[in-house]
This record gives sequence, C-alpha cells and structure tokens, in this order.
Amino acid sequence: MRSAYLLLVPTLLLLLALPASRGRYNDDFDDGEDLADFDDNDFAEFEDMNDDLTAETETAPPPRVSSPSSQPEEDEDEATVELEDGQDGFEDSETQDQDMYSKYDQEEFEGIGDMEKTSHSMKDPLIIHTVPAHLQNSWESYYMEILMVTGLLSYIMNYIIGKNKNSRLAQAWFNSHRELLESNFALVGDDGTSKEPVSTGKLNQENEHIYNLWCSGRVCCEGMLIQLKFLKRQDLLNTVTRMMRPASDQVQIKVTLNDEDMDTFVFAVGSKKAMARLQKEMQDLSEFCNDKPKSGAKYGLPDSMAILSEMGEVTDGVMDNKMVHYITNHADKIESIHFSDQFSGPKIMQEEGQPLKLPETKKTLLFTFNVPGYGNTSPKDMDSLLPLTNMVIYSIDKVKKLRLNREGKQKADRNRARVEENFLKQTHAQRQEAAQTRREEKKRAEKERIMNEEDPERQRRLEEAAQRREQKKIEKKQMKMKQIKVKAM
Amino acid sequence: MATNSFADPRRQNKILRYKPPSTETNPTLEDPTPDYMNLLGMIFSMCGLMLKLKWCAWIAVYCSFISFANSRSSEDTKQMMSSFMLSISAVVMSYLQNPQPMSPPW
Repeated sequence: MRSAYLLLVPTLLLLLALPASRGRYNDDFDDGEDLADFDDNDFAEFEDMNDDLTAETETAPPPRVSSPSSQPEEDEDEATVELEDGQDGFEDSETQDQDMYSKYDQEEFEGIGDMEKTSHSMKDPLIIHTVPAHLQNSWESYYMEILMVTGLLSYIMNYIIGKNKNSRLAQAWFNSHRELLESNFALVGDDGTSKEPVSTGKLNQENEHIYNLWCSGRVCCEGMLIQLKFLKRQDLLNTVTRMMRPASDQVQIKVTLNDEDMDTFVFAVGSKKAMARLQKEMQDLSEFCNDKPKSGAKYGLPDSMAILSEMGEVTDGVMDNKMVHYITNHADKIESIHFSDQFSGPKIMQEEGQPLKLPETKKTLLFTFNVPGYGNTSPKDMDSLLPLTNMVIYSIDKVKKLRLNREGKQKADRNRARVEENFLKQTHAQRQEAAQTRREEKKRAEKERIMNEEDPERQRRLEEAAQRREQKKIEKKQMKMKQIKVKAM
Repeated sequence: MATNSFADPRRQNKILRYKPPSTETNPTLEDPTPDYMNLLGMIFSMCGLMLKLKWCAWIAVYCSFISFANSRSSEDTKQMMSSFMLSISAVVMSYLQNPQPMSPPW
C-alpha cells in the first residue's frame, strides 16, 4: 500500500511538470483509478490533493512549464523521504509535508521552493491567475458586443416603426384627398409602367419616406405630380439629428401646364426664409426677379410672408381676394408657392463654367406645404391640408385666366430677350473656343491624312487642294471686311 | 370649393402618362446618403477584415443597415445584400480569428 502512495506522488508531480502531454496524463489517471479500487478510504485524501493539484495546473499552466526538468530529479528523493516518514498516515499530510521540506538543504535540491509553493497553496487561498478573457465562460466580458447588438436591434425596431408611421401618414393623406382628386382628374395614380393609362388609385412608393402620386386628365393643365416628402423616420440617425434640428414633413405639388394655359410671368410667395433661399437657388427666380423679396403686408398677407415677382402687375393679378384669404388662413403651412413660365429647376453647377445652351423650361406651378406638427404628426393632421389642395386647384384655373395687359406683355418679352442675350454673351467666349478647337481638329485630321498618304503623287495633289481651300477662306474673309467697311461708310 | 361646380373639369383625352423625372439633369435633388453609406460600409468591412479590427467590422454592419434604410426602391437589392453580407462576414471573421471580446477605445 505504501508503494501505491509512492507511485501517486511522483505521478502527481509529473502531472504538474508536463501538462501538455495528454497521453501520460491519461496513464497517470488510470493508475490512480486502479489504485483507488483497492482502498477507497485511504485515497480520499489523495483525491482531494489530486483535485487541488489539478486545479492548480489548469489555472497556472505558464509558471509550471518553466520547471519541468528539475522535477523528475526530486521525485525519487521525495519518494524515499515518504518511505521514512509515511507511517503517520495521511490525515495530516500538510504538516507532514512541511516537516519534510524543512529538513532539506536549500542547495541540494533545486526548485524545491516551487514544491513549497504548491503545498502552501493548499492552505493559502488559491492564486488564480487572470485567464485570457475568451477562455472565461462569462458573458460579461463581451459587453461591448452586447451593446453593439442591442444598438442594431434598436435600429431595426426604429426602422419598422418609422416605416409604418410614414405609411400610415401617407395613407391618411390619400384618403382625405382622394375625393377631391378623383373629381378633378381623370387619371389618379400612375406609375408609368402599365400599358393602359388606368388609374391605379394608390400612391406610388418611391422610398420609405417619399410617396408619389401622378394625376392627369384635366382642363388647364398637363398633369400634377404630388410628392409626399416625409421625414426619414425609418433611419435612427436621422431621428437623432431631428431631435436637435426639428423639421417637418412636406407635401410638394408640381403642376405642369401646356403652353396655352399660362401667360408669361414669374412669381413666388412664401415664408421669408424660403423666399430668400429660392431666390438664390432657382434659375428662373434669380434671373427674372432681381429685387429682394417684398413683404407681403402690402397685399394683406401676414408679415411673415414675402413676395418675389417679375413685375407689380403680376402680383396684383395673382393676389386676388380669394388667394389672399387662402394664404392668410394657412400661412403656417405654406412654405412656398412658385408660378413660372420659365421654370427649369434649381441652378445647375457645371464644372466647365456655364452650360452651352439654355436649360429647358416648362410652365409650372410649384407648391410646397409643411405638414403641421413639426414631425410629431398624426394621421389626423393630414385633413388640415385639404384646403391647401383646394387652393392648388383654384390656382390652376386662375392662372389659365390670368392674362397680362399689353404693357405687361411687352415688359415680359423684353425681360426674356434680355436674359437670353445675357446668356449668349456669357457663353460667347466659350462657344468661340469650342468652334476654334473644332476647326483646328479638322485641319489636323487633314494634315495627317496627307502625311499618311503613301503615294507621292496623291500627296502633292492633296496638299495643293488644301492650299487652295485656305486661299479661298482668306479671300472670303477679306471680302467680308470690305463689305463691313462699305456699310460703315 | 370645386372650381367649376357645373362642368366636370376632367378630360379623358388629355391624359398624360407619368414619366419618372430623370436624375441626370438635376443631380442635386438626389439624396447621396445610401451611396455614401454603401461605400463607407465596404471600406470599413475591408479594413476590419485586413487589419483584424473588430470595431471596423461593427461600424460596417451599421453602415450597411443605414444604407439599406435610406435606399430608393428603384435600387437593386443585389448591391444592398452584397454589402450586407460583406459586413457580416467581416464581423464573423474577426471573431473567428480572435475570439477575445472587443476592448473599448477608452
């Protein structure tokens, strides 16, 4: 039995020394189990010791690895010591060990301090070294990841909630306006894809926050495009930015007119800020309405409204009683109203200076309304926009009837001619350059052709032809100069 | 409040089909957010994969989510899905290579 004990201690030491070698580990365990079969009671202490020691191994693999070589040497010495003092039994194994070690010469045995440590650690609290975080089995160390995933989940939740809210608002708007639109337009709702122009009767969703509706088939206009530009409620980032800078949903109505439906004038009315911004941004407003926005108070509008107009007559014509009434009652909801026969959208910033030709214009009425509530709108608020849509319909009919008198017409025509001239002048230099480069290209191409011609005869002939052409050109120019001189005289 | 209470203003013969406004003429009206976020997402996920930075990969996931939320319905879903998959693969690869939890930068 004592020999069994003898075997165990060195195997334990070996365990400590070589934790990596699994095979030997298994063997040691097997031995231990076989021995256990013999006498359970005697091995009770050993089992405890075994567990303690193995726990030590797990928690402190690195320090153990450093002294593998010295260990086997001591095993035999230890074994002999055990033999001598082992009669006491192992109830008091700890004290016995202490006695054992104190007998030994420090010089004789290397690394015996380590052994002391292991024995002491049985009595002292276990020195638990910090395990690298991923070997721990606690979720707490992954708190950053949990934070990230929570953030993602909240983003997804916000997306779903925002999308639904926008969709409900759009539907509410459409429900309240459906009757008005259907009584005024033959085609309500078209996405341009179906073969037959049949009313789809529903909004066209462009985005999670933009809904379109195209109405057509009415006197006085080509068509009306209504854009419900809601806030980006589906995007959490946007929601957060909106907390700092409140904005509101917008309804933008763009009515395109035929040429005969509208006389030539440019006019805009709206909030002061919007007018200042539009005057800088919009191509036509910046060209035709050169004066600063006038306060609307002169025409009976609230002070917060400003007017941009091509000429006074236009303002008088547009601002009749009914319009003034509409605008005054709903001044908080109106962002801008823009009537123009030269509408071409915002100014385009081109890299090569001015574009070479005038942008295309279309006779347009553009209305931008703010939905009340500054973002915290509910579907009920959509009903309050109904009178504004009525105003739109009224304006369409009105603009058809509005005609400038002779003076006004002349002024308007002069204005347009002036704008066109300015434009041509500005691009004159550019157009000249473009023509010049084109001419040079042609010459170069011809020269190359002549050079590439292998036959010398043909080469000479081509050269002569080119020379003759040059002469002709020079003569023509001279003739022109002479003509001009004669005219001047 | 209808303008012509007598005559029906609708004209069937005047119907014009809807033409989606071309975005080439006015590029300023387009919202550039989904494109930027897509690009950012790809850059971050590549950074996360190559440099084995976990926070890059997580930011890439966020970017692709934001890009998806802001995207237009006319944009094809393939691009969206590809950026999504790329960012998720960046996160997974970063964790497979280095299972340690992410350490906060502070």
